[in-house]
Amino acid sequence: MNDAAMNYRDQTAPVRERFAKLHARPVVLAVESIGRRFEGESGPVVAIDSVSFEAHRRELICLIGASGCGKSTLIRILAGLDEPTSGRMLLDGQETRGPGRDRGMVFQGYTLFPWRTVSENVMFGLEIAGTAKSLAEEEAQHWIELVGLTRFADAYPHQLSGGMKQRVAIARALANRPRILLMDEPFGALDAQTRAQMQAYLLQIWRQVEVTIVFVTHDLEEAVHLADRIVVMGANPGRVLEIIEVPVPRPRSSAQFEDPLFVATKRHLEHLIHGERAAPIDMLPHIRLTTVGDDVE
Amino acid sequence: MARTTDWLAVRKELPGQRAAVLAVLSFVLPVLLWSFISYVPFVWHPNVKITQPGSVDYFQTDMLVENAVFAQENQRAAAEGRAPAAGYPANPIYLPPPHAVVRALYTGFTTPPRLPSEPWLHQSLWHSLQVIGWGFFLSSLFGVPIGILSGTFAFFSKLQEPFLEFFRYLPAPAFGALAVAVLGIYDAPKIAIIFIGTFFQQVLVVANTTRKLDVSLLEAAQTLGASRAQLLFKVVVPGIVVDLYTDMRILLGWAWTYLIVAELVGTTSGITYFINQQARYRNYENVYAAIMLIGIIGLGSDLVLAFIGGRLFPWRPEARRSNLGRLLRFFASPRARPPVGEAAT
Repeated sequence: MNDAAMNYRDQTAPVRERFAKLHARPVVLAVESIGRRFEGESGPVVAIDSVSFEAHRRELICLIGASGCGKSTLIRILAGLDEPTSGRMLLDGQETRGPGRDRGMVFQGYTLFPWRTVSENVMFGLEIAGTAKSLAEEEAQHWIELVGLTRFADAYPHQLSGGMKQRVAIARALANRPRILLMDEPFGALDAQTRAQMQAYLLQIWRQVEVTIVFVTHDLEEAVHLADRIVVMGANPGRVLEIIEVPVPRPRSSAQFEDPLFVATKRHLEHLIHGERAAPIDMLPHIRLTTVGDDVE
Repeated sequence: MARTTDWLAVRKELPGQRAAVLAVLSFVLPVLLWSFISYVPFVWHPNVKITQPGSVDYFQTDMLVENAVFAQENQRAAAEGRAPAAGYPANPIYLPPPHAVVRALYTGFTTPPRLPSEPWLHQSLWHSLQVIGWGFFLSSLFGVPIGILSGTFAFFSKLQEPFLEFFRYLPAPAFGALAVAVLGIYDAPKIAIIFIGTFFQQVLVVANTTRKLDVSLLEAAQTLGASRAQLLFKVVVPGIVVDLYTDMRILLGWAWTYLIVAELVGTTSGITYFINQQARYRNYENVYAAIMLIGIIGLGSDLVLAFIGGRLFPWRPEARRSNLGRLLRFFASPRARPPVGEAAT
């Protein structure tokens, strides 16, 4: 095995070409030295110091980092649900603040409206924008079809599984035709198998829809599997450690999890995120409460 | 299987049949106790009902006499060679036996009032229902919107809740004299008492329910482009309507508890007038019957509202359960009181 020799910077020619094309596309989202301070009891706490990155049209960016690095705060700021204390964000070159229909969001918790059916949930954004009901219904139908839930169009959220709920949430956000789809650990509450399925669905949806995705996760494999580029964040204070171009070619599949480039990228992420924390894992004190021999190991 | 036969499992639901048995028992047991005291002669029965006055000059037929007095008079009569009085053990007049009360539940509606100016029982009841209805309606008309605003906007919450927290400790009946002075002696002050008793709790309860709505639903709606008004009418209101409905059922129960006090304000009216008159005539079975009617109407209306609520909100996970199942759960589960105290922070 020459995994160790592989470097995540070793891009094959087609991948390099793809990134060149990607960077040539216009910038949809520009995050310019955004910072967020909270007033704590013992003085101000800096959650995010100064974060900058750009997302190009139809790029899929993952934000990753250890807990407490402010990645959730950052995506809430991007959604307009939180205000930055410094810096600004530009959407298509225009400064934006506050929530808006140009930035859709999928949350980790299930946020479908329980009193609305699947199709009524997907119609919400259109209805609010004043689209005629028949038109909104027709639109909703397309998006429900896209996420493969046509059979459940008239079901209520409590009748759906967790994965199905998140698919509806994606359809609901996309129905507004946002410039950016923000996803805050959307598959974090799902079991491993459903999560893998959802990742495949997301990649497929992303290919078929004109949308730029910013995806927050703490799962390294998920990030490498999904992203064009990964924004790696460090904690105390939250800041960008490195922005990585994922060298794994597209289309992605779960078979690539063994790919040397995939492994090398993942290892580098591990090093960045966990290597930063120098302290070794603490062991518990050695107290023996059984007289039986050491037959478990 | 051993576990399923356990009637006293800690924090476990009982299977439907057992819950049903216990629900029926909860009504049967008090009635059995009452019957036991009423029909078993040697249990209590501190009085004697005279059937034959004998030689005791102040005894009359159907008169209730204390056991000691009866024994004393008969002893004296025996000593003087006079004819003794006869009678059977009886309970005091204020504890009529169950069958008399059940009979009164029927005859109360068929017996005309003693005076032509007095209302029939059904007229008294209808009058009470109107007072409750208006009091609760007016309270809700203002209380629900104010509560929702208060639960949605910190501005309204801070502007009024501290005062309401103070005001809700003032007992509604304390305003009786004031209400009469301002509103006269007829129905208006009674409606006002029910309003005062309900309104302040209602605002706090509704505000609390509104605050319990998951914030992430509001955030999701915001990222979908909802304006402030749309958040209120398209997310907050439909989001809390199920809990609001339950709150209203509980609050209606509270309104009932103010009824008797309210009806004593000014000229006594409604079911309270009926109860007072019947007590004055010493028709205690009618008094019990009237009190029971209040309970029957209260529980009955709550059951009807619970039943309607089950059909009104098809999106709830429980909405698909059978009616019997819902009825059983209604009796088997403790009614959750809204935690008003939590609102004060």
